[in-house]
Amino acid sequence: MRIQDIREMFPALSERVYGKPLVYFDNAATAQRLKTVVDKTSRLALESNANIHRAVHKLASDATEEYESTRDAVREFINAGSREEIIFTSGTTASINLVAFSLGEILVQEGDEIIVSEEEHHSNIVPWQMLCQRKGAILKVLGVDDYGHLKVEDLDSLITPKTKVAAVTHISNVLGLVNPVKQIVNICHSKGCPVLIDGAQGIVHEKVDVRDLDCDFYAFSGHKIYAATGTGVLYGKKKWLDQMVPYQGGGEMISTVKFSGTTYAPLPGKFEAGTQNINAIPSLKPAIEFLKLLRDSELQEETRGVKEYMERSFASLRMTEELKVKTYGVPRGTETKIPLYSFTVEGAHHEDLALILDKMGIAVRSGQMCAEPIMDRFGVTGMVRVSLAPYNTVEEVDYFVKSLDKAISMLV
Amino acid sequence: MSTLEEAKRAVVEDFSMYDEWLDKYEYLIELGKNLEPYSEEDKTEDKLIKGCQSRVWLDSRIENGKLFFKADSDAIITKGIISLLIGVYSGRDPKEIAEDDFGFIGEIGLKENLSPTRANGLVSMIERIKELAKSSIVTDSQDVLTAEDAKELAALYDNVVLALKQVYDPEIPVNIYDLGLIYELVINKRHEAFIKMTFTAPTCPMADEVLAEVKKNVADVPGITACEVELTFDPPWDQSMLSEEARVDLGLDG
Repeated sequence: MRIQDIREMFPALSERVYGKPLVYFDNAATAQRLKTVVDKTSRLALESNANIHRAVHKLASDATEEYESTRDAVREFINAGSREEIIFTSGTTASINLVAFSLGEILVQEGDEIIVSEEEHHSNIVPWQMLCQRKGAILKVLGVDDYGHLKVEDLDSLITPKTKVAAVTHISNVLGLVNPVKQIVNICHSKGCPVLIDGAQGIVHEKVDVRDLDCDFYAFSGHKIYAATGTGVLYGKKKWLDQMVPYQGGGEMISTVKFSGTTYAPLPGKFEAGTQNINAIPSLKPAIEFLKLLRDSELQEETRGVKEYMERSFASLRMTEELKVKTYGVPRGTETKIPLYSFTVEGAHHEDLALILDKMGIAVRSGQMCAEPIMDRFGVTGMVRVSLAPYNTVEEVDYFVKSLDKAISMLV
Repeated sequence: MSTLEEAKRAVVEDFSMYDEWLDKYEYLIELGKNLEPYSEEDKTEDKLIKGCQSRVWLDSRIENGKLFFKADSDAIITKGIISLLIGVYSGRDPKEIAEDDFGFIGEIGLKENLSPTRANGLVSMIERIKELAKSSIVTDSQDVLTAEDAKELAALYDNVVLALKQVYDPEIPVNIYDLGLIYELVINKRHEAFIKMTFTAPTCPMADEVLAEVKKNVADVPGITACEVELTFDPPWDQSMLSEEARVDLGLDG
């Protein structure tokens, strides 16, 4: 299989913007949508739209089957122990908020501590800050070094008997380095502290095995793995999910409701109150099929070529003396960096660069990327980020580099 | 100096020379680079315009009744845009600026062709220019007050407050004045009233009716010649703004 075959699965990639072919390099924000994903959601909306689990009629049982078989597909894909450990949400943010509330309620008391890292997305900071405010707990931060590596060596001393949970990203959406999450989980567990992994970027680029990682929670979104927006997953170990209090009350999450008191549904229903995103959640199935397809060795070799070409281009940009291009998140040794490159150019504002690239048909991200603390860490107001997907080609990279060069010459 | 209309037409003509957006950007970059320097110590929080991805500072001063602007931005295209706005509006009568519709921005395609975040930034820049112009009108006409003026105004203020106390929030049985919804009340020498007010929530369904009622009640106060009401949610209203009386009425104390 070749990149060209992949491209044909995404209708948006043949679009033109301002009369120029679209070069979509903002995949870490949201990936383009698979045709099979669009077909799945529209078929469900048009032909099998019924609320799940409740009614006895044909449409309802079709919709339920689509929804629940998606749970099995997700369970298998991340190798969770049981289907009850897969909770559907609206995305990574919702998954993390659920844990911050429901786990926080049973574990965290005044004076307790929660650990996050300096390179977290706002979605893996703010829910924990809110928990700290609610409970009078303290948020502690695991730092990042000058090259963009988590200071894992500091973790051991950061954890105290008062540390109740640690939340760390699998891959930072700014730095693109794969964090040693298995090691992090080990350290935390040796001190009795559960770990949530923000897998928003991790699920896209890594083969995730939650049982091998042994993490307590793993959160990710559908729209970054080519599925529909408004879909997300929370994996949680059964031992935690069983103890946790419900996050939202409503239909579906109950067993019996009396005015004298209500009993809750067993997992996973306990955490899926209200009508779920029934047309969109099943789009995770074709998305997962697609992710499996990407394991094709011929394709992997070709996409590796694109990545290396991008890295060589950046290296040569950096080498030009009069030009000060700085990239963030430098891999060391055997460390893996995903095809995600955040950079700044001295004398050229990130927003100016992104605006000019946009007019050339290239979609990149600029600004703080929802990760203000890491911007502060590196002393910048923002960066430009290019993030590639397996459908991006060498030609696109080439065009991007030439366009970037032109943009810089306009500005500096 | 050219008239405001002439200045606007000149900008529209300049822009129409370029077909390609990259050329328009080149032009804005050029404008940005040539903008008069802005001192570092004036880059304060109050001069920073919110709503832009890049940072924009705008400052103004009155000279011989005319309003002059100076500005800066850390992004050069934004700097070009603000330079263009200053070029058109700086050195004009604040009233003329406050009453302008800024419609020529649409004619040069700036609003549509800039990214949505940037369009927001542009809207915020225009808002700030208008705000500065409006507040300059008020201070200007208040400049010289005789003792007689002050005496007349004092009575007018009392009556306007009474008129405001006749207006009730549809949701809460307390008048809008005691609720603390009136942020600013200024009556100038020509007895024109300017009111800046808020609502308890930005989604108040009766907002238009309440604003109209405020305007009418105040304009009807004998001696008041005109009334302008401006709505703001900065800062957002909270319970600490309630008057003592309102707190008692609502049973919030004790």
